[in-house]
Amino acid sequence: MAKRPNTEQNRVNSNSQSTFGQKNEQLEKQNVQTALQENERILEEVLGSSYDFVIRRFTVFDQHAAFLVYLSNMVEIEGLNEDVLRPLFATRQLGSVTSPEQVMHALQYQVLYHANCQLDTGMLRIVHEILQGKCAVFVDGMQEAFLIGVRQVQRRAVEQPPTEQVIQGPREGFIESLDRNIGLIRYRVQTPDFQTDIIHVGKITKSKVAVCYIQGIANDELIKEVKQRLSEIDIDAVLDVGYLEQLIEDHPYSPFPQVQNTERPDKAVANMVEGRVTILMDGSPFALIVPTVFSQFYQTAEDYSSRFLQASFVRLARVVALVFSLVFPSLYVAILSYNPELIPTQFAVAVAGGRAGVPFPSFVEVLIMEVSMEVLREATIRLPQQVGGALSIVGVLVIGQAAVSAGFASPITVVVIALTTIGSFATPAYNAAFALRMLRFPMIALAGMFGLYGVMIGLIIIANHVLSLKSFGVSYMSPASPGNFQGMKDLVFRLPFWSMKYRPSILHASNYKRTSNTGTQMKHSHHHTLDPMKMKNQNEGAADEYPEATDDHTDGSHSN
Amino acid sequence: MNIQKQLTTIQTAAILTSSIIGVGVLPLPLFAARAAGSAGPLITAGGAAAGFLGVFILIFLGRRFQNQSIIQYSPRVIGKPIAFAGSMLIILFFAVLTSLAAREFGTVVVTSVLRKTPLEVTVIVMLLLAAKQARKDIRIFAYTHLLYLPFILAPGLIIVILSLKNAEWLYLQPIWGTEWKRMGTGVLTVAALFQGSFIIGFLIPYMRRPERSVTAGFWGVSIAACLYLLIVIAAIGVFGAEEIKNLLWPTLELAKTTSLPANILERLDAAFIAVWVAAVFTTLYVSYFLTILAMSQLFRLKDHKALSFAILPVIFVIAMLPQSVAQLYEVIEWVGRFGLLITIAYPAFLLLVASIRRAKGESNSNAPAR
Repeated sequence: MAKRPNTEQNRVNSNSQSTFGQKNEQLEKQNVQTALQENERILEEVLGSSYDFVIRRFTVFDQHAAFLVYLSNMVEIEGLNEDVLRPLFATRQLGSVTSPEQVMHALQYQVLYHANCQLDTGMLRIVHEILQGKCAVFVDGMQEAFLIGVRQVQRRAVEQPPTEQVIQGPREGFIESLDRNIGLIRYRVQTPDFQTDIIHVGKITKSKVAVCYIQGIANDELIKEVKQRLSEIDIDAVLDVGYLEQLIEDHPYSPFPQVQNTERPDKAVANMVEGRVTILMDGSPFALIVPTVFSQFYQTAEDYSSRFLQASFVRLARVVALVFSLVFPSLYVAILSYNPELIPTQFAVAVAGGRAGVPFPSFVEVLIMEVSMEVLREATIRLPQQVGGALSIVGVLVIGQAAVSAGFASPITVVVIALTTIGSFATPAYNAAFALRMLRFPMIALAGMFGLYGVMIGLIIIANHVLSLKSFGVSYMSPASPGNFQGMKDLVFRLPFWSMKYRPSILHASNYKRTSNTGTQMKHSHHHTLDPMKMKNQNEGAADEYPEATDDHTDGSHSN
Repeated sequence: MNIQKQLTTIQTAAILTSSIIGVGVLPLPLFAARAAGSAGPLITAGGAAAGFLGVFILIFLGRRFQNQSIIQYSPRVIGKPIAFAGSMLIILFFAVLTSLAAREFGTVVVTSVLRKTPLEVTVIVMLLLAAKQARKDIRIFAYTHLLYLPFILAPGLIIVILSLKNAEWLYLQPIWGTEWKRMGTGVLTVAALFQGSFIIGFLIPYMRRPERSVTAGFWGVSIAACLYLLIVIAAIGVFGAEEIKNLLWPTLELAKTTSLPANILERLDAAFIAVWVAAVFTTLYVSYFLTILAMSQLFRLKDHKALSFAILPVIFVIAMLPQSVAQLYEVIEWVGRFGLLITIAYPAFLLLVASIRRAKGESNSNAPAR
């Protein structure tokens, strides 16, 4: 690329010495030329340095020169041969067509039968389409080029989402391909009201971001705001929705996540039906859900697919685990070092006995154990899976046991730390569990300094902070804190569906009611179809024999 | 006037309840027993009645001027100079009330749990908590109180329920006291504990349905009054009036003598103090918020945020002025009784003048028609 004149800036971009964006500028105003060589030269200049750039020359209708361009790594070569080149080569049998208009017409309406085929004039757009995996066909004398979708990119199969496992419920998870993900959603909401609006984000990556919502349920202002925030993003590369999350959230400095992410299409759909907006991105197997309130982080998709008593019980257990993971170590430190008189005497003696050989105050002991637990946890994630499983067992059993017998930690400390860690694993949302995991450390410090008083001060600070958070204007602690009783039906306990007649009012959904009936009908619409009394009335004669026969049989067997 | 009407009735009631229940619960049985012995519950009921009176006077005033707070409508009723003096007194009084509450709780913590911690630390920590949150707007103010309410009511109720098994009903008789003068002073002392509910004078303009402020006021004060009454009954029932007179914080002693069933926690005093931090925080938050909100309205500032940390040093210094616990309680009782002039007599005067002059707020055109 030495022949390019514009070299005053030395910023090296890939292997050319030109400045970034220069190619785009050059192409901006270019249109497809009638002279075929000219088009070829332009494309060669822009894309020619890539090794996978291919130009295949041929003729159509036996006399018009033409060429096909594509990036060999992005297209399905078999489809290209069968569905693009074969019909084009077959044109020599169709006889001669002379004028360029006729050529174009014939190609468009008679030859190229590919479903995904369009015409374009702008060189910039054509180049972008080629980069996205389409192939372009240029014919001499034509002012337009055919763009044919033969894209094939590597993608994995739809699998069970590893971060959100369920016992009961669908097993499909999002994958990296946006098309497939939208397909997974559309498969669940077969309504024209389901909308996806595409926004391109990232100066270099131009990542395709889809804003998905259900028209007529999601609040229009919310949709506008989400699109507004996404389009205001000014960044070079967006490689995952995690980038977007950080750029659209309301309080970046808060430890609490204000955007929920999920790998589950059913969860995304459920949230959209409630009136939320889902953001998907090409290349990321996660969907973002906005707005988010705190209670969503301990709710799972399974809470709705299992029976309500079961769901409520499990959810309660999760809330307990969440609280545990935050306060348990600090409570332990506070009680042990300031108020041992609170715990029953026998237990206090046992605790003191366990701590007899430990040289540190309980504050230091807990802190050391917590830090080593964090290190262990991180190591388990980073290690290859085969080793990881072994390490977690080794870590917990051997190190814990060894620490106790070495007099480094008391057995009860190990129990407390283990419970805390397990508690933080019980939270379905990793990012929310992480917030509390982080806050555990200042809590332990406060407990070490001020005892129970300090723990309470810490909790108040956290509660006050959380109370002032907002996600897209929705108070983070709602529905608990504005005191919305409709919303509280789905807070800690998940009440049966017939009692949740309305969508969450915090979302100001355009369509407020979930059910059209009064809800009581949902409960009482059952008829005791197979009730023996009814059966008897229906077919008296036939029904009599069989039960009698069995009665006889059982009577006989009992008497023997 | 661009006021967002957003407070619900429940939120208003919650604010009132949590403004009343605070550090005052700790010495409450002492105040009651000292005034009338076994007739302590009666004194408490009398104090609660005075509390109701104060709140309802403010509500009737507020209903006349639905879009203004007491600071804003008082000049229309009694003229600017007197109203200015009255408003200044309100601000001063609540600043002092904030300091005294912080000081009182700081003393409790330092005396009973953190014996080696300097008093200054516990006082400033509580004040910082309140000052930080007081910077927030009225919506978050309401949300905070609503969220904390269960955690304020639960520990008090638990202690009352658990200690009632040790109660001796004979200690509560006779239910009628004898010395009228001392009983009157006792009623005033207990009534002073209800002064946080003065905040209603500032809340009505923010209420979504101001006509339901009576409901909110009734429930808010009732819940707090019931808890007060229960605690006094439990304390006198367990210790007897004569014993209580020797205890500085009988409620705390009550927590000390109770243990959770199945021996989960042997004594509850340290846990009670820890949980009570929340109750004290909400009380402080109310009086702190009230102080700076009143200041910003009196001096017509755009909002109250900047004042929050500006007045913190003043409040802290006032808090550290009393020299000893004995002096502290002398000051608290005196300031409390004097405060009744501001929180009950002054609004009553305003209501009287307003009804004579038939002064009313501008027609409630922007009141929601729901």
